[in-house]
Amino acid sequence: MQPIVLGIETSCDETAIGIVRGRTLLANVIASSVEEHARFGGVVPEIASRAHLEAMQPSIQRAVSDAKISLRDIDAIAVTAGPGLVGALLVGVASASGLAQGLGRPLYGVNHLAAHVSVDYLTHDKPTDPTIALLVSGGHSSLLQVDDITGSITKLGATMDDAAGEAFDKIARILDLGFPGGPAIDREAAKGSATALDFPRGLTTSNDWATRPYEFSFSGLKTAVARYLESTPKYVRADVAASFQEAIVDVLLLKALAACKETGINSLVIAGGVAANSRLRAVAEDRCAKAGIELRIPSPGLCTDNGAMVAALGSLMLSAGRPATRGAFDADSSLPVERVSL
Amino acid sequence: MAGAGAMTISLAIDTATSRTTVGIIEDGVLLFEKFHEGATDHGRALSELVAEALKVSGPPDVVVVGTGPGPFTGLRVGISFAHTFALARQIPVVGICSLDAISINQPEYTVAIDARRKEIYWARYKDGVRIDGPHVSKPAEVSDYIIDQYPGALKLVALSESQNISEPMYLRRPDAVPTAERT
Repeated sequence: MQPIVLGIETSCDETAIGIVRGRTLLANVIASSVEEHARFGGVVPEIASRAHLEAMQPSIQRAVSDAKISLRDIDAIAVTAGPGLVGALLVGVASASGLAQGLGRPLYGVNHLAAHVSVDYLTHDKPTDPTIALLVSGGHSSLLQVDDITGSITKLGATMDDAAGEAFDKIARILDLGFPGGPAIDREAAKGSATALDFPRGLTTSNDWATRPYEFSFSGLKTAVARYLESTPKYVRADVAASFQEAIVDVLLLKALAACKETGINSLVIAGGVAANSRLRAVAEDRCAKAGIELRIPSPGLCTDNGAMVAALGSLMLSAGRPATRGAFDADSSLPVERVSL
Repeated sequence: MAGAGAMTISLAIDTATSRTTVGIIEDGVLLFEKFHEGATDHGRALSELVAEALKVSGPPDVVVVGTGPGPFTGLRVGISFAHTFALARQIPVVGICSLDAISINQPEYTVAIDARRKEIYWARYKDGVRIDGPHVSKPAEVSDYIIDQYPGALKLVALSESQNISEPMYLRRPDAVPTAERT
């Protein structure tokens, strides 16, 4: 029988528990405090941390019940050790430590970003690595070269200002579409034209391609949209949403496919909350098919923050013979992606 | 809780102050108590101290945890750990007001815990009973308080016979301004 791993994720506003047996998903419970943050226009760390503490025990109990196992059946615990909101991470790490010590089982402190990529293992038979990974969410926008998901990840580039999901949130706010902005813009854009307006693609000049080919910048795009709205009182909201979304999708995929070409790795995983965006998925499929690149995008429910991805990475660590985290450890809010585990 | 006469082993945890305190009490006898000083070390310290504590006795029958008031981030570490440890062992958790667990040998006194932002959490006691608080205030608004004492494992466990607080005692709302109210 393959080992059972329970994963705990609390890096932002989702209290998420996943349970896997080997590469089979047994449970994926997500309690989100997103509604409590909506009226603040973004995630409030203290509200998120309080919600994690409240949701933790019932979420673990539900996951164990969904998986039709008992807590004693769990062979190892994995927890997001970073990066993320430190107060939020600490609730997850302390809960995981209590559970691991209570059960007498090993504990893996793992990287949130690597976990996002590793969730792909739950939906595909073939191993993913080596692969290029585009990780896009409310807190992160990174392009990674993954040679070994359990130990060797290289950051090719990341955003120099806003994360892609953050840009969605900010534009949704000025378009009065509410929070979180990603799904709201996706819905609005479906009613508009992606080519109605030509918004800038950040860091895509020939000089940028020569000096920082895999870095992203979305602040110029944000400013361009805001200026357009100011100067065009009778703007068509759906067209603005669709054209803004197109600019983001275009630049993300231009750079991701360039990374595939440059490294000779014909595999691309897109993960993180923004990977749930329907336009990103459609354009990625089209462009990857034309370029002969194998594309993998987890199902939308596994793209946003979840515990299954943490359990998946823990399970991969276990089966690769990687040692559990030795001794006690702290959450690391700025854990670099190169550190797959502690 | 085990009834009278039965042997009860309690694991006591408090992270409401800059200290992380862990103790093992068996039928009112303190078998182990250690603390670690460090306002940002609760997670690491707690895990290490509990591992050490579990070696001195049989498995605990109950976890007793200080529920504050105290600075939020550290406070949640102790409560989170206590809850999942107890869940794993299928044993109960009893929550205690951390200020109540500070032992002061006086008939009447006020004790305080640093609440950061130049404020204190405090409560007043008479004949061993809390008569005012817990509150959060500016120090100047509270007279004659004792602040250099810490919750103890023995008192946490002693109080578990008579109180059980299930929620963390934050006493402050999260700092956040709704978008509509921003200027």
